[in-house]
This record gives sequence, C-alpha cells and structure tokens, in this order.
Amino acid sequence: MEKEKKIVVPGDFLGTSEEFTPGSGVYDEKGNIYASLTGEISINDKRVIGILPKVETPPMPEEGDVVIGRVEDIRDTVAIVSIACVKGKEKREIAASTQGIIHISNIKSGYVTELQHEFSYLDVVKAKVIDAKALRLSTEEKDLGVIKAICAKCKGDLKRKENALACERCKRVEVRKISEDYGKGVV
Amino acid sequence: MKEGEKEIELIKKGKRLDGRGFEELRPIKIEVGVLKRADGSCYFEMGDNKVMAAVYGPREMHPRHFQDAKMAVVKYRYNMAPFSVDDRKRPGPDRRSVEISKVSREAFDPVIIKEYYPKTAIDVYVEILQSDAGTRTAGINAASVALADAGIPMKDMVSSVAVGKIGGEVVLDLSGMEDNYGEADMPVAMVARTNTITLLQMDGNFKKEEFERGLKLAMDACHKIYELQRTALIERYSKSVGEGEGEE
Repeated sequence: MEKEKKIVVPGDFLGTSEEFTPGSGVYDEKGNIYASLTGEISINDKRVIGILPKVETPPMPEEGDVVIGRVEDIRDTVAIVSIACVKGKEKREIAASTQGIIHISNIKSGYVTELQHEFSYLDVVKAKVIDAKALRLSTEEKDLGVIKAICAKCKGDLKRKENALACERCKRVEVRKISEDYGKGVV
Repeated sequence: MKEGEKEIELIKKGKRLDGRGFEELRPIKIEVGVLKRADGSCYFEMGDNKVMAAVYGPREMHPRHFQDAKMAVVKYRYNMAPFSVDDRKRPGPDRRSVEISKVSREAFDPVIIKEYYPKTAIDVYVEILQSDAGTRTAGINAASVALADAGIPMKDMVSSVAVGKIGGEVVLDLSGMEDNYGEADMPVAMVARTNTITLLQMDGNFKKEEFERGLKLAMDACHKIYELQRTALIERYSKSVGEGEGEE
C-alpha cells in the first residue's frame, strides 16, 4: 500500500468475492465486497478482507469479556444482573440486551447453599461472560464478584473486613462473594 | 407557489437572488464528531441551514415491547429549534416534523444493517439550529455522516438535496425565498453509489419533462454531496490516532 493507509467509508468497493473472503466490517453484494464501516482495510494471509475500524464500534459482550453490572433481582438459583458496560469499552452502552444471569453454580468454585449469602440486591458486581448469547455470567475468579455493596438494614456503605463486609454505621456484618477489587473503585 | 401572494422576481439576469446559477449548490460545510457525549455526531451547514445530528446506540430498547427480536429499531427525530426560523417556532413535535422524521427514517432503511444488533434501538437526533429551506435534506446528510461516525454498520451513505421550480426554471437546492415564492419544491435523498432513491417528495407541480430534469439535477448533486461527506469522514479519521481521539 501507499505511504499512508487508505481510509474507506461505508459503501466503498473493496474487491470481488473471487479475490477475497468477507471478514468483519464488510458485506458481500452480488459478488462484490463493500465496506460497512469507516476504517482501514486489512487483508490477512488467508485473503480474508476486513475493516480495522477507525470509529468506535458498538460494544457487544463476547465470551470472556469482563462486564460490570448491578444485581437487580435475587431468585432461588440465579441472580439477575443489569449490565452497565463491558470492561475496556466503558464509554459506550452495550448494543444488546442488558440483562445478565449468574447461576448459583457459577458464583464460586465451592458449593453454594444459599444464593443470598453471595449476592444481595443492588450489589455492583464484576463478572465474566461465559455465554454471550444468553448473557450467562460467572464470578468464579478471584478478581470477580461484588465490588460495591450497601447495608441491607441502613443502606450505608459496606467496608471490607477480611472475608466479610461490615457496615460502618450500624455495625452489621454481611457476607458476599467479594472481588479482590472490592471498594477500590477501579474496574 | 401560493396564489394571491405578490410576485417576486426570483431570477435576475440569469442568476438567482443569491447570485447562484440554476444548477449550483449552496456552500456546504461538514464537521464530524462534534459532540462529546454522543456515540456519533455531525455538524452540517448548507448555505444558511445549520444542522446538528447526533447518534446514540445501538442500545437496549425501552419500552421492551417495541423491541424487534430480529433487528435494531431506528428512531429518528427531526426537530426544529424555536430560534431556527424568523418567527419563534412553538417547540415540540408537530404534524410537519413528525412527517419529516418518518420519511427521513425510511430514507435510511435500505442502508443501515440492522440485523447485527437485535433488540436494540438506534437513536438519531437531528436538530435544526437555523433553517433556510431544505432542512430535511441537510438533516439527512448530517445523519448519514453521524451514523458512519457512530460506527453503525451501513451498506452505503445517503446524500440528499432538493430541486425546485422558480420563475418557470428548474433549479437546484432552493433557498428560503425561492421556497416561499417559487412554484415547486422536491427533496430527493439517494444512495450515491447505487443511484437508489430513498426519499422523494414533491410540493407544487412539475411538468413531466421538468420532473425528469429536476431529478437528474438532484441526482448529480447528490453525487457531489456524497464526495463531500466522504472527504469529511476520511479527513477526520486519517489524522493520527492520538489526535482523532483527542476530544474524549
């Protein structure tokens, strides 16, 4: 290519489907391949043509992504989490349904008898996506779990005390699946 | 256009009131990514028209029953600022702006690849800050660039311009005076690459030959506008990465 990589915009002709296999950011119409995003052309050694977007693209949670969300509901075997953002793409709302699910078996590696002992209403949790389609989440790793919680009784902030959380105001002690990053304010 | 209004000479010595020729566009200025909080945005000037377009999403659609399980829903709002016209416009949606929102949304129907983001909504807000005839076409041009800026997958970009008839002549890109005292006004939106017309309205009457000539004028002008839209986007994103993200 020339001195600077050429930028293409949606609708630009890139090549024919005899030459390339369409990758991401392109579409095939009547055997011709056109760009669907603004960015640079990338062609790999298998002749897959794609666009490296220069614009920010809408984030979609994928398997392995870390997401931040808030517990909206606690059922017998699942916690419903409303996902706020994908880690690394915090600037933009996710382009999908925001309702994630943490099953009781995916909370931690040990056996969990009561879900209420691990999560509570309005906890902010950090979780990993294990199924992007159904938005099933897991908090099994050390840095995953609750990163911010409030006291069930007085709604005061809970501070970490070893493996439990203590309310500063009413001295109530609660238990959670706590993330390593609890209370640090970092994602 | 309207009966009983006093005749105004719109063409003098083969030139229009603002000195343009019959087939001349008004000067166009395009700025990409002007709004910090929007996912994509564009400021568009077409003569005295000043338009801001902002795109948000795709994001979860609320209320839920408006969701489409197969594709994203595009919501397009055309809105005129109260100060955009000579007399204060009463703010809020009215018959005219609701109609323009609908036809403009449909102008983007064949280009946005909505199937990638099911159950979501793509919000397009077009604000007319200053108006001087042909605001819907300016709005479409702005929205097209803003959608591309937001990284929403599109098959093509849409370009748009109006043609009209003044003093018996078919002319391109009517100005406010020409729109008010002319005989006809016809906004056209088109996908420049495929020559697919996605919006066509007409106010007033053209003869068959005039219509054909007008449509050809509009289509040629759409190609010119498309080039400007392209250049604006490329210029914005061919800067080094650091510069391009500087506004965040």
